[in-house]
Amino acid sequence: MHVGLEHYLTVSFLLFGLGLLGVIMRRNLLVIYMSLELMLNAANLALVSFSRFNNNLNGQILVFFIITVAAAEVAVGLALIVALYRKRQSAHVEDLTSMKL
Amino acid sequence: MNASLMSLEIWVIALGVVLMLADFGFGLAPERRRFLAYLAIATLGTLLITNLGNYTTGTAFNGSFVEDTLAVFFKRFFLVAAMLVLFMSVEFSDRIAGGITEYYSLIVFALSGMLFAASANDFAMLFVSIELITITFYVLTSFQRGRLISLEAGVKYLILGALSSAFLVFGIALVWGTTGQLNFNKLALVAAQFETNKIFLLGVLFVLVGLGFKIAAFPFQIWAPDVYQGAPTPTTAFLAVGSKAAGFVLLLRVLFTALPDIAKHWADLLIVISGITILYGNLCALPQRNLKRLLGYSSIAHAGYLLLGVAALSVSGQAALLYYLAGYLFTVVAAFLVICVVMRHLDNEDISALAGLHQRSPLLAVTMTLAMVSLAGIPPMAGFFGKFLLLKAVIQQGAINHNHGYYCLAFTALVGVVISLYYYFGVIRAIYWSPNTPDLSPIPLSGPVKFSVCVCIAGMFWIGLFPSVVFNLATEAAKALSL
Repeated sequence: MHVGLEHYLTVSFLLFGLGLLGVIMRRNLLVIYMSLELMLNAANLALVSFSRFNNNLNGQILVFFIITVAAAEVAVGLALIVALYRKRQSAHVEDLTSMKL
Repeated sequence: MNASLMSLEIWVIALGVVLMLADFGFGLAPERRRFLAYLAIATLGTLLITNLGNYTTGTAFNGSFVEDTLAVFFKRFFLVAAMLVLFMSVEFSDRIAGGITEYYSLIVFALSGMLFAASANDFAMLFVSIELITITFYVLTSFQRGRLISLEAGVKYLILGALSSAFLVFGIALVWGTTGQLNFNKLALVAAQFETNKIFLLGVLFVLVGLGFKIAAFPFQIWAPDVYQGAPTPTTAFLAVGSKAAGFVLLLRVLFTALPDIAKHWADLLIVISGITILYGNLCALPQRNLKRLLGYSSIAHAGYLLLGVAALSVSGQAALLYYLAGYLFTVVAAFLVICVVMRHLDNEDISALAGLHQRSPLLAVTMTLAMVSLAGIPPMAGFFGKFLLLKAVIQQGAINHNHGYYCLAFTALVGVVISLYYYFGVIRAIYWSPNTPDLSPIPLSGPVKFSVCVCIAGMFWIGLFPSVVFNLATEAAKALSL
């Protein structure tokens, strides 16, 4: 079987959908954060496969930018989640309720 | 390649690094640290005069960085905003447990992201600049690590911000994959061929979702009230002014430089989003008792007013948007300055804390009143003329296109203004006519606070009473967009 662009894109859309589902359904901050990384990597997969099949390297360069930015985002994000955990002894979204109308 | 166009950004980043290292290197005493902030303000002021006084237009880095009238308008805007926010954070420094110098340098780094955003002409530049702003703001929002609500606001901003950047990146991937272009000008040449390509349109929609989050437009506004309430006050002010304006400059570039043909077909969508955002912000602000949360909802409403200028799809609409942003800058910073000074010793920012302010500090009472009057859009303040121009642009466009949606939108905006009068005047009533005023001790004002308050008042009156200077600049800037 020949694996073409549409197969890669299908996987990429599936990954993006799974990540989005995880963000919406899961209650643990760390799992939500992992789902967000999944969504970013879905975009990376789409970029790389478009790049490969269209013979245009710009997409692969953009992927390097995205990986770097995602690493910075993870560094800040995990620090924040740890700081919240120390304060609250919980990493569940139900406990983020000190600000309400 | 013309790297000298980027000298302003390079200077600002160097300033951020110097600020960060200064504290490590010299181990300054706490009372000396405020001089670092004044140094930063002085440097930014010098850059504003020398670097943007006579600018050269052009593009750098293979067309991904553009210096034109629009970029220069926004760069001036961001520099003024950062200077006022730095004044405010000096006043706030006693409430930040450790690392106030890092706070200053993070503000400067966020500023550099905004400057890049003003010049972004390429999806890669758009993504990197927007992330530079957002990631810096995660830290700025949760800077009061000892306060639970600051951390909570930071985590909420983190999750929803990361979600929006995932949408943005996926959108960029789809747009680039179908068209093969990252550069906005090159994309504009080929975009018309892809008008019916579903994957391309989905990509454009995802990019707009990412930008809609930055400007807090409906339905991506959920984070705004919580983050505005929990974040340290200078961060909230910078978020309300700088981050929102950065979102708008990128939205303008994407819609009108990169995708003018697509934007024309999406007028109805923009009209609906703008109308709902105005109504949502104003209606939800009505029952609020926390002043920062109230301003959070009011900033959603203002995103809606600003979207009027985008939905109008005309040069006059874009010019009105830029003019409105300039007035909004001074108004919002003035309001947050007052909150920062008056609610110094309080744990929450309840409106009742303003009671008797006209006896405690007449200057601050007048400032808050003028800010509320300007936000409500009453002449002769900046907010009135801005709203007038936005509505005029929308109605003009309705007359040209015979699109009744524009008339409905103008009517919705007027309804929103009438609703907003209630809660803005609730704040003024709390200042002057509160029945019980527990604390009538005078509020001491430091020189820099008096200075920055006076700058804000002068800005509000200047833009409202002598609109021609800013309006001409805004019109020049709007002409840089191709529509």
